[in-house]
Amino acid sequence: MAKIDLNGVGHCYSGKPEKLEDFALRPMNHSWDHGRAYALLGPSGCGKTTLLNIISGLIRPSEGRVLFGGVDVTDQPTAKRNIAQVFQFPVIYKNVTVYNNLAFPLRCRKLPADEIDRKVREVARLLNLTEQLKSSAARLSADAKQLISLGRGLVRNDVAALLLDEPLTVIDPHLKWLLRRKLKEINDTYNQTMVLVTHDQNEALTFAEKVVVMQAGQIVQVGTAQELFENPRHTFVGYFIGSPAMNFMPCRLDGNAVKVGEERISLPELATVDVPPEGKVEIGIRPEFLKLEHDASPDTLEVPILNVRDLGNFRIATVRFAGHDLKIKIPEARPIPSEKGFLRFPRQWTKLYVDDVLREPAGA
Amino acid sequence: MLVSRQKLIFLLPGLLVLVAIIIFPLLFTIRVSFSSWDVMYPGLDWIGGKNYSRLFSDSRFWESLQRLAGIAVGTVVIEYLLGFGLALLVWKEVRYKRFFRVLFLVPMMTTPVIMSVIWRTIFHESLGPLNNILGFLGLGQVPWLSTAGMAVVSVMMVEIWQWTPFMFLLLLAGLLSLPKEPFQAAAIDGAGPFRTFFMVTFPLMAPISIGTLIIRLIEASKIMETVYVLTSGGPGTATETSSYYIYIRGLRDFQIGYAASLSVTYLVLMILALTILAKFLVRAFISKDKA
Repeated sequence: MAKIDLNGVGHCYSGKPEKLEDFALRPMNHSWDHGRAYALLGPSGCGKTTLLNIISGLIRPSEGRVLFGGVDVTDQPTAKRNIAQVFQFPVIYKNVTVYNNLAFPLRCRKLPADEIDRKVREVARLLNLTEQLKSSAARLSADAKQLISLGRGLVRNDVAALLLDEPLTVIDPHLKWLLRRKLKEINDTYNQTMVLVTHDQNEALTFAEKVVVMQAGQIVQVGTAQELFENPRHTFVGYFIGSPAMNFMPCRLDGNAVKVGEERISLPELATVDVPPEGKVEIGIRPEFLKLEHDASPDTLEVPILNVRDLGNFRIATVRFAGHDLKIKIPEARPIPSEKGFLRFPRQWTKLYVDDVLREPAGA
Repeated sequence: MLVSRQKLIFLLPGLLVLVAIIIFPLLFTIRVSFSSWDVMYPGLDWIGGKNYSRLFSDSRFWESLQRLAGIAVGTVVIEYLLGFGLALLVWKEVRYKRFFRVLFLVPMMTTPVIMSVIWRTIFHESLGPLNNILGFLGLGQVPWLSTAGMAVVSVMMVEIWQWTPFMFLLLLAGLLSLPKEPFQAAAIDGAGPFRTFFMVTFPLMAPISIGTLIIRLIEASKIMETVYVLTSGGPGTATETSSYYIYIRGLRDFQIGYAASLSVTYLVLMILALTILAKFLVRAFISKDKA
């Protein structure tokens, strides 16, 4: 049981990296606290699996050190790291029974037979596999096989962290929900650090206490579901988390206002941010926070309403503002003006990004 | 109706070729097997099952069949073990991997008949280099081709040398196509190389192993040129295999009718034996743990 620290860990698959873009995983520092449930969220190819394989020791990082409880394990083989990993597709030993599958890691560690039996039965009970213990593992369904993969990690007493590499991909939606709940239960029961790799934001946000968002080989934000939603620290987080994605518009600062095209939005706090002359400056606001009013007021701007889509308990209105199409999420009960409305950018939820990174006004 | 006629028209050329090159010779051989066609009286007369009743009491044929079974199964098993071993050696990252991969394939690129002639020279008891080397090492002379037991060993050695690369090639292709996750999972579970081999590599390779073994068993049961060149079935009939015995009866003694009955019997026995062997291999390789 230990805290996992990544000190300057980076990896390049093809020889020596010459520039930052050569890294599949850019050098980073990050800590995984003991006993917490994390989700590693990002699109395919962003380096999630590479990061996971570095922690488990399947890949030796080309740069940096991996520490378990303060002990450097960078050069230690996988078997000595006390890590369990569940892969995207179920990995079972197909020639043997479910019992022997679950017992395998303990036999490799030469535990006494009675202890193996006790532990296997305990984990089988937890995963509802007791009935199938004597069945051939190869004959089970995909989700039962995935439970066996998970069980092989849980039978071990020495596991410091359980790494889950998109393990719910092959599971059907209803079972996916059950399995996710089971994972949470396991996290509570065994107090193991869990890292769930996924590209599904719902999976990440419902499973983890902290979500680590990755893009192009780097961690762009670590936070709770609420933090990621309310305060995305990178435009990618704004695009990737939330549906529909965050609205972004290129802008420039002008006095105490932010100017988008020829339109001025009065945002005195944001206007104080120091912006480099050649930087890419954008404002962003979530569709949930953008307001569409019926009547004009000093801080509103008139916009034509292009369309409204009804999605059951909410609707999404698309409006045209300074040449940009903006989405607004409106609860079902709230009336929507027809043809034109008045747009309001609440100061608290309107964010400024310079070169894709959130810039907050001094004192925020 | 029109569609089925069109299908037939498209299938007809292929069917005609199949009938001409497989079905007709087979049916003709079956017909010949009921005749007494030989060098004295060539022609398709009808003698009923006389050739078959003669065959049942022909101990030389049944001995050749037993010998063939021994040689074929023995060589194929050794080829499989060697081929798998070599494939495992050059599967992972080793130095000069490409060089070794090509080197192991060299025997397959040579002509079997010519290599059998070369091997006959190597095995030659007084002129061959093999006995010279053994003598130099103080191991004494070995009568490679003149004693029954050693002649069988020599035939098997040449077959193994010739065909292990084929096994190696197919098994290496199989190993290279295996997914990496099961190996990573075994490493995480703490399995050493032996456990990994028996729990992961071998079970994953089972379908490829079965296919490779069956292909080689079919090929090995037709062993002919090595025996012909190396020992001519001798000494005595020590290395005489079924196909070589059929060749002797048909093309040396010109007992065409009798050779045809031997061929038909051999074909039926081979189909039966290989079907049973295939089932046995599936059971042996894809075993289900009932514990």
